[in-house]
Amino acid sequence: MDTWKEFDQNVITHSAAHHLMAIDDLIGQLGYARVSDIARQLNITRGSVSISLQPLKKAGLVEQDENRHLRLSERGRQLVAAIKTKRHLMQRLLAEVLGVEAEQAEIDACKLEHLVSNETARRLLSFLRFLDAEPGRGQQIAAAWRAFGDRCDVPPAQCPSCTNECLAEKVRDEPKPGSHP
Amino acid sequence: MSSLSTNEVVAELNRLFAEEVEAALRYLHLTHAVRGTDYLLVGPVMNKGFQETIEHAEVIAHKIRALGAVPRLELNLSLGPQSVDAREALELALTFEEAALEAYQDALRKVEGDVPLEEFLRSQIVTESEHVAELKQLLVE
Repeated sequence: MDTWKEFDQNVITHSAAHHLMAIDDLIGQLGYARVSDIARQLNITRGSVSISLQPLKKAGLVEQDENRHLRLSERGRQLVAAIKTKRHLMQRLLAEVLGVEAEQAEIDACKLEHLVSNETARRLLSFLRFLDAEPGRGQQIAAAWRAFGDRCDVPPAQCPSCTNECLAEKVRDEPKPGSHP
Repeated sequence: MSSLSTNEVVAELNRLFAEEVEAALRYLHLTHAVRGTDYLLVGPVMNKGFQETIEHAEVIAHKIRALGAVPRLELNLSLGPQSVDAREALELALTFEEAALEAYQDALRKVEGDVPLEEFLRSQIVTESEHVAELKQLLVE
């Protein structure tokens, strides 16, 4: 299956998602959003914002009035709501359930928010609702899992989680920039 | 004198500097992203745009320097390997030239009272307006 091609065909790029969310945030804060406001919010040039907005206008996600004020179309608003929800869900999964550091969880959730399908987001929501349904259930599962630990002493051939290679070896900590192996 | 502090003026000039440098890079990229006969049509226009925007950037850098600061440049730019046709190149150029024009107009409103800077920005607005008008003229059906 050519899954990787789906990534390239994604209508919303990471940059586009942030432009849409910036419009939504600015309208919430100021009541309007102009190219200059978005440029300031995203810390990029106006030229860059104007170029990035072109495909979003063509796709009918963003509209501009005669005063050059930008707003999201109904479809744009729905898309932003979905992206923000996915970010929230991913952040909770990573930080609260998997125990990823809050800052890293935020960064990774930001990378994934526009790529995750609605179907996956619904399943994730359902999982979090399951954890939330009973007070302490989430903490119990997380505590049991943390007690289980990250260490892996089983040879790959006998490991129920690995195939014929050790998967943990593949996702070791990346060397920090500037450090030597 | 303008009500802006020197640091605020420098920040404003840095924003304009970034607009111009980025526009220059976009022009340079567009010069070589148009292929075949389209290159004959708009290659020189894009190249002229590159020369002019980089000159503008340099003038702004001198202004920042004259205020005792060093230009600060942060760009977030990724230009792909896809070719564009003549019309697309002109439309893109018009988009970022209009954005630069608005940036100068906004800056002018902010520095009101600082006559030399006002005059500089006014002259830039005239030049940018001419660029925009030229591009619009080339895009007429």
